Amino acid sequence: MASTVISAGITIEGEIATDEDIVVAGTLRGKLSAKESVTIEHGATVEADVAGGSLTVAGALTGNVTANERVDLQAGARVIGNVKAARVTIADGAQFKGNVDMDV
Amino acid sequence: MAQIRTPARSQGARDASDAHIGSAARVRGRIQGDGDLVVEGHVEGNVTLRGDLTIAEGATVASETVTAHAVHIAGTLEGNLTASGPVHFAAGARVRGDVQGNTVAIDDGAHFSGRLECEFELPPELGGASQGEARARASARR
Repeated sequence: MASTVISAGITIEGEIATDEDIVVAGTLRGKLSAKESVTIEHGATVEADVAGGSLTVAGALTGNVTANERVDLQAGARVIGNVKAARVTIADGAQFKGNVDMDV
Repeated sequence: MAQIRTPARSQGARDASDAHIGSAARVRGRIQGDGDLVVEGHVEGNVTLRGDLTIAEGATVASETVTAHAVHIAGTLEGNLTASGPVHFAAGARVRGDVQGNTVAIDDGAHFSGRLECEFELPPELGGASQGEARARASARR
């Protein structure tokens, strides 16, 4: 159960901060920070710097990413930006352009 | 009005009636969309929806303009509201701003200060094929 859901068809231009988890299936431009998990679903468009506990991406993400735990780029993800997390996975079928930093 | 749902990771594009801002979330910026939105957290910025807006108990929305279809408020709204559907202020709601709606219902225990503007068709027996307009300057406090 996600406490915050930005569904497909919703566009937010600005900043989202939450102490819980968040699922983005729509469009977000700005900045996103969550204390728990961040999920960017297939079909979502995120142009934002993202900070979270853990991050799962299946959609399009442009921006720098920092996660306290881990970042998982799933098949179908398109990510442009730098990723900083102790554990990073990039699945077969994910597109990624940027730097990875696991020295956290 | 809490809605429970599963994130369903690989479900892809879901229907647009799902958006939900949780009680621990704060959004600063512009929100627009085709579907419904439930706010349990805090929103600062303009909201434009084709669907329905629910401001749950404990939630706050501060914005210049809020536009939606049906609007249900049990939390706090500061800003002008334009609704194409019915507007409902539940007990415990606090609303400050001008409200334009199709129909507006204010429950006992709701707090509203602002102007109410409803446009409606007069029934034929009141001589109205034309459009009537009722305006009430209200600073209702209960």
